[in-house]
Amino acid sequence: MSPSSIPVAETSHSLPFDLMRVPGLGHLFRWRYARPLLQTPLLILSLVMIVHGLFGPTLAPKNLATTLSWLHFRGVLVLVLLCAGNFFCLACPFMLVRQAARRFFQPRFNWPRALRNKWLSVGLFVLILFTYELFDLWSSPWWTACLIVAYFLSVLAVDGFFKHASFCKFVCPIGQFNFVASTLSPFEVKVREQDVCTRCHTKDCIRGRREPVSDLVTIRGCELALFLPSKVGNMDCTFCLDCVHACPHDNIGILSRLPAIELMVDPIRSGIGYFSRRKDLAALAIVFTFGALLNAFGMVSPVYAVETWLGRVLHVNHEAPVLGLIFTFFLIVEPILLLGLAAWLSRVWARSPRALLPLAVRYTYGLVPLGFGMWLAHYCFHFLTGLYTLIPVTQNAIASLGRPFLGEPRWSLTGLPANVVQVVEIGFLVLGFAGSLLVTYSLAEDDFPDRPLRAFLPWAAVCLILWCASLWLMFQPMEMRATLMSG
Amino acid sequence: MNKLCLNKLSDQKVLPRFPQEVLASWLVGFLCAATLLIVGCSRQVDRPPFVAIDYEISPQPTRVGPATVTLKLSDAAGRPLTGAHIAIETDMSHPGMSPGFAEAKESEAGGYKAPLEFQMAGDWVILLHVTLPDGKKLDRQIEVRGVRPGVPSN
Repeated sequence: MSPSSIPVAETSHSLPFDLMRVPGLGHLFRWRYARPLLQTPLLILSLVMIVHGLFGPTLAPKNLATTLSWLHFRGVLVLVLLCAGNFFCLACPFMLVRQAARRFFQPRFNWPRALRNKWLSVGLFVLILFTYELFDLWSSPWWTACLIVAYFLSVLAVDGFFKHASFCKFVCPIGQFNFVASTLSPFEVKVREQDVCTRCHTKDCIRGRREPVSDLVTIRGCELALFLPSKVGNMDCTFCLDCVHACPHDNIGILSRLPAIELMVDPIRSGIGYFSRRKDLAALAIVFTFGALLNAFGMVSPVYAVETWLGRVLHVNHEAPVLGLIFTFFLIVEPILLLGLAAWLSRVWARSPRALLPLAVRYTYGLVPLGFGMWLAHYCFHFLTGLYTLIPVTQNAIASLGRPFLGEPRWSLTGLPANVVQVVEIGFLVLGFAGSLLVTYSLAEDDFPDRPLRAFLPWAAVCLILWCASLWLMFQPMEMRATLMSG
Repeated sequence: MNKLCLNKLSDQKVLPRFPQEVLASWLVGFLCAATLLIVGCSRQVDRPPFVAIDYEISPQPTRVGPATVTLKLSDAAGRPLTGAHIAIETDMSHPGMSPGFAEAKESEAGGYKAPLEFQMAGDWVILLHVTLPDGKKLDRQIEVRGVRPGVPSN
């Protein structure tokens, strides 16, 4: 059957809500230049942030680089992930520059086989969290601008040498954060009707649409090796919509679904395999979850007491080794202890035939909602309490050019009151806790239909411990220092 | 079940689709031009006059809550500078926090005092916007590191 003889998918009442069917929005997403259109404003914004970060005020609250990066970008990012999906990756400005560079340098190599996993990106994710604390990136416009420049250069270097979307899939720490968080998003890029795909012979969604004579690809297929008919969930999906544009049958939509549903099942996933066999993905989920608590811990008063105590005990004055110890404890020792104990208990109580490590890997994904709840609470605190600061910072930036056409900076504009935002924070934490309980119970029910509680209880205890820790962190007095070891 | 790996994907030589590459090149060019413009067109600022500013913040150690900054202004010869107007702004080192504003009042010849409010523990920056009696202006920055959490009063 030729592709043209396959009927185009039609709207069915049994289908979930499809963003591509929304008038206007659907037309926009189907337009082949939708991505550059969305990327361009973010690229301009990135360039403005770089210039202002390097040449603007050195005080972080007055600089666009720090204000936009550490308040508004992070806040909007997590809220969009929560309410829609991985739309930041869709509008990623780095990819626009990459596309421009590929006009001049065509990549020639495949990404090394040994690195086709998440270990490198997990390491980079930890490195970003570590440098954020060590160099106090939030307080330094210059370092923030350098980070953005470094990101652009890394994209160009990696995707300049290696084919496809190697940077997105195997390197980008922000992308990995988005991939994990988007497992909780209510929308997913998905085929509308499997039958249409079964009858499709061209597989343009992965191969790309080609010119009949030259065999050159006119519309790209998925660069992240996700074959849509067997794609499950949002992991590794950048929402780039290449598959939407390539599909000759208009059979791909952005469909609604139950958030976290993909964490409750373990089918083989295109481009990923089984979640339960991916130790690297589990490590990413651990860094995502425990890193959320660690990142918030770095901003409250007790961290300084811990650092000072550690420095005194170890006779160390420099921050890096002390911070390294704290990171090792929170991202390695604590997860091994908690998850190892929970896995052992659920194995013994539920008499599971699984070995300890596979069991721990499988249930680790259940902690992702908790982690996301914490990221939401933390980032939304900064975003909402500093919501309006973008106005005076922009006024100030324009005034510094000598033409204050937006008026004098109104520095009194800040954001929502902290006590109002705290209610929102608690809401996110409760949502995350409920989500984690639901996912872990669902996994336990799937593994042990006759005695799910026995497998579930140890993991519920881990969730409870982490949730209590999150709540405790939220009620600690904030203390934002750029100098941890000064006393 | 289809399981596709990156190495199994055929090399996708993509035809030029849209001038987005050209657009990006223009944007990069715009960045360079904007940078040159900003650096090149900065206004020449008169060199500010020499003014020594000594300061003291009380109580010590600094804690969350009200505080007072005492400033002593003197000229190159060490003479007290009277009649200056000092606007004070307090900021945290983290973006998004509410800044505080105050006016310093002259309490003695060359000596000025202003009330401050540290709303949160952490690192603070005090910005001094000084207008001298002759109309000349100068800005100074005082870093206040490690403001401690407040002690609950009995």
